[in-house]
Amino acid sequence: MSRNALISLIVLLVAAPLLPGIALKTKSVLTGRRGAPVLQVYYDLWKLGWKRSVYSATTTWIFRAGPAVMLVSLVAAALFLPLDGRAAPAAFAGDLVAFAALLALGRFALVLAGLDTGSSFEGMGASREVTFATFAEPALFLCLIALVLATGELSLSGMLGAPLAAAWTRAPASLSLVGISLFVLLLVENSRVPADDPATHLELTMIHEVIVLDHGGPDLAVILYSSALKLALFAALVASVFVPRARLGAAASVVALLAALILVSAAVGVVESAMARLRLTRVPQLLAGAGALACFGIVLLLA
Amino acid sequence: MHTAPQVALLFIVLMNFAVLGTSRLSTCIRAVAVQGLLLGVLALLLAPRFSLHTGVLALGTIVVKAVTLPWFLAWAIREAAVRREVEPLVGFNASLLLGVLAVALAFAIAARLPLPGMQQELLVPVSLATVITGFIVLTARRKALTQVVGYLVLENGIYLFGLTQTESMPFLLELGVLLDLFVVVFIMGIVVFHINREFDSLDSARLEELTD
Amino acid sequence: MMLVAAGILLMLVAALTVAALWRRVALSDTAFRLFMVLGCTLGAIPAVRVLSGAAVPDVRLASLVPGGDWVFGIDTLSAVFLLAIFLVGGACALYGVAYAEHDHDRRRAAGAHALLAVLVAALALVVTAQAVVPFLIAWEVMAVAGYLTIISEPERAEVRRGGLLYLVATHTGTLALFAVFAIWGNGARDLTFASLAAHPPASAGVLALVLWLALAGFGVKAGIVPLHFWLPEAHAAAPSHISAIMSGLVIKMGIYGVMRIIALLVAPPVWFGWVLLALGATSGFLGVLWALAQHDLKRLLAFHSVENIGIILLGLGAGVLGVGYGHPVMATLGFAGAALHTFNHALFKSLLFLGAGSVGHATGTRDIERLGGLAKRMPRTAAVFLIGSVAIVGLPPLNGFLSEWLVYRSLFQGGVGTGSARFVVVAAVALALIGGLALACFAKVVAVIFLGNPRDPLAREARESASGITRPMAVLAGACVVTGLAPVLVLPPALRVGSMLARSASRDTMSLVSAANGPVTVFVLALAAGIALAAGIALAWAARRARSSVQPSRTSVETWACAYPVPLTARAQYTASSFAAPVLALFRPVTGVSVRRTAHSFATHAVDPVRTGLVLPAWRGVAQAADRIRRLHRGRISLHLAYVIAVVIVLLVYLIAAGGAS
Repeated sequence: MSRNALISLIVLLVAAPLLPGIALKTKSVLTGRRGAPVLQVYYDLWKLGWKRSVYSATTTWIFRAGPAVMLVSLVAAALFLPLDGRAAPAAFAGDLVAFAALLALGRFALVLAGLDTGSSFEGMGASREVTFATFAEPALFLCLIALVLATGELSLSGMLGAPLAAAWTRAPASLSLVGISLFVLLLVENSRVPADDPATHLELTMIHEVIVLDHGGPDLAVILYSSALKLALFAALVASVFVPRARLGAAASVVALLAALILVSAAVGVVESAMARLRLTRVPQLLAGAGALACFGIVLLLA
Repeated sequence: MHTAPQVALLFIVLMNFAVLGTSRLSTCIRAVAVQGLLLGVLALLLAPRFSLHTGVLALGTIVVKAVTLPWFLAWAIREAAVRREVEPLVGFNASLLLGVLAVALAFAIAARLPLPGMQQELLVPVSLATVITGFIVLTARRKALTQVVGYLVLENGIYLFGLTQTESMPFLLELGVLLDLFVVVFIMGIVVFHINREFDSLDSARLEELTD
Repeated sequence: MMLVAAGILLMLVAALTVAALWRRVALSDTAFRLFMVLGCTLGAIPAVRVLSGAAVPDVRLASLVPGGDWVFGIDTLSAVFLLAIFLVGGACALYGVAYAEHDHDRRRAAGAHALLAVLVAALALVVTAQAVVPFLIAWEVMAVAGYLTIISEPERAEVRRGGLLYLVATHTGTLALFAVFAIWGNGARDLTFASLAAHPPASAGVLALVLWLALAGFGVKAGIVPLHFWLPEAHAAAPSHISAIMSGLVIKMGIYGVMRIIALLVAPPVWFGWVLLALGATSGFLGVLWALAQHDLKRLLAFHSVENIGIILLGLGAGVLGVGYGHPVMATLGFAGAALHTFNHALFKSLLFLGAGSVGHATGTRDIERLGGLAKRMPRTAAVFLIGSVAIVGLPPLNGFLSEWLVYRSLFQGGVGTGSARFVVVAAVALALIGGLALACFAKVVAVIFLGNPRDPLAREARESASGITRPMAVLAGACVVTGLAPVLVLPPALRVGSMLARSASRDTMSLVSAANGPVTVFVLALAAGIALAAGIALAWAARRARSSVQPSRTSVETWACAYPVPLTARAQYTASSFAAPVLALFRPVTGVSVRRTAHSFATHAVDPVRTGLVLPAWRGVAQAADRIRRLHRGRISLHLAYVIAVVIVLLVYLIAAGGAS
């Protein structure tokens, strides 16, 4: 594991809570408000850490284990992304499957923890979450397949690292389509508009927020951080596809990573302020559209 | 992969997906309008040499396909007060899947067609894909207006295929554009008028009730 | 080989003992347990040895029956199945003894135990037979023993129906198998597998016929869509440990057959690989979709077996395509993935069925809509069922992830290959879709059964099952965890099986083995690093809080009900059907969910579309045609004599015409 990769990983882990704040700030500024401070998520994490936990009598150990498993799976997934543009801390041929499987593990743990409470709200959120996951997983794999075909590499460090720059000269159209498709996936997986409104207050309209409705105190802090980390992971993925950073020096790649993450969050904020939330039944269609874009990219590569 | 005609052709395929995947009729019309605009631009870009004839053709294509017809269709939507395709015969997810399969099929067929070497290798596959997409929209939708949009997409595909003849812009293209205009105005006007009068709605499935 | 024979013999002794001593319950139970465990352990030893690279000599028995000598032997392919058979068979036998402890009809219980032992012995014989005749004999014994164990409660109509459907389906498959070996053996010297391998079918047409017949015959046993329609009925009707053996082992015999056919062919054709890939994707997708619609726990698990057969076929398809297109790495990985998934599925599917049996035993119902909150009342069952669920969804770090990863890896390997093999990679999308649906299905199952509040008094009064029931489950769960966390134990044997089927050079295999070990170690290290990080954060936090005056957590509150004045009842929870409804709505045309709606009621009912749409109408058509033909049989002797004379005259005319022509 190179020193640069380790530093990039630490930067990602520390800077992850910054990203939802930037997205919210962008959205507020564009809609004419001042909005919460950019560091708001850090303040929330600190505040929640000091609160007392309240657990329902219906819950079992699965409720307490859910946030921890989610955090662990996300951190493990982060180990496979080449954040410095060259090589990830952990890499082997076929690790893209491990990346997707770890995200699925986090989702499974969170869904079970939500259903442990025996409340209808969590059941509703869990049901919607797995419905979207049914189309989101194939869409993610379509994007990864396109990257495999474009670069000829089987590891995320290869697909998002140096060979990607060469692939851009050969197949820019396919890679742009893959990048757009990944951005749509980012919006859906991280419960952003147009898939889900993170600022809604009505439980009946929430998806991700309502699965964790009964978590409080330090558990909620872990979940808040995990959501920010998931956003950071997807943002790093999108940024790596659009801007390969293989040729930069050590310090420059860290700065570039940070700048890319901030840019993607700002883009998320722009999209959130420009669009309204879709009807629930249209979100699978949105994912099918993203999948169709990635499919078209694959057809162009195979032709 | 970054010449202007190739980008235009890629956007035409994206517009096909847009027509297949959306239920809002205004979005369908806007997508067909963008397609028409791209077709006119393509006619200009692919012409071997620029002449008055080419310029007039391109301009006419843009005016008809990108301005007139969409405006007319939008008027028809307002008249009939219909905004969405609510229950198509084939669902939107399935239509998108069919559209992707159409693109793959078009590329596979185009690779096997005995065509002489062409400058634009994307032209034939994209035109085939657009024709098939037009067919899908024609057969998979209920509302008469959406079916007209499908017919326009089909015509756009045929127009694209005509562009492969780079020797001269054939008479075919001009006839095609005029045919578009004629067909759309004539048929749609009659159909909209009559359906609206008979049923107070534009659901073409209800044409089945016109039996003895 | 002698050890395996000894193991089988011990199992038959167990059967005889329990049948003879059925009156003295304690003695017969203990003797049965002892002989079964001993037999399974003895039989498993040579399997493990073969899997770690040793070779075991064959046993040849000269036979008086035509068809050549009877050869028995263990190669790497047999060893994988053998290990699964003994491990799962032993666990289910122990479970069965504890399950029937309180059964009043001791004679029936003893008979069931004996038949189980015969079934496991027959399974072991099927995979060790290296000649056609013993193979088919063992196959038939297995089929009949399976039928007899399924109908252990024949007074229930659904049990009789399930058993009959199973019997008819398996015998139709056996008929196809007879045809396969008859056609193939025509050109061979004798009917041993070695000579069949030396004389492959001459022409491509004959080869295609043989392969399609083999797919039909073995496909009925394996449960490939659309030949799966007998599976859910039979598996739901049988007692849980028998369902575990059926789903975990018996349907794998169909897979074993297909893999044996591939092993006997030097050059399997490319179209066969594409067919396997297509069948795998279809079975996987439809299987899990139909599983999602069920709310009978055992039918759900049975449909899920169809899905896993689909995944195995995807691996086999990738392997055959790798051989056909000349990509040995892809072929090895594909076959290895298929073999490992077979073993893993035997482990975790039988674990899940045993868990379903425990739940059914404790609550008296299989309908998950009436359960809930069982994690508090049956903690051990809940824990092992959760382990089985995580394994079957294919989540790290358990064994399901390993075998699915191997299949993915082989598909992606095709993607970086050349030529038509690149199109294989699109099958990875099917696998991803299947995985997503499996996650939804098992989130629903675990949540509705074990979490939340009990929906019915049956669930409220459930108590944990006896240790005789939970201990075999714990053994299987432990095997899942161990094989998941220590891939270095299972990956080299899997790759050995893969390279045997792919006929790739041992040099390639060894490089793959070392290449596969490195990554998995890295992966486990990554997971450990993630856990260490999380633990570090938690420790730091806890340390700070211990020093401060934050109050400890409260644990006796009601779940938040949005300020509703009355606490949430069990009816407020999401039901299984509601949870699955949005996912099913995405694929409405193929889910087979029928909705019955009246003015004051609403009911959904899950049916098997193949059974109601294809098989039953076809059967009705056959019955109608048979009725019409029956009119030819009036029972009058003069009419039958007239038929005989007519046929003789026709044959004479044909002979004269053919003789005249030649």
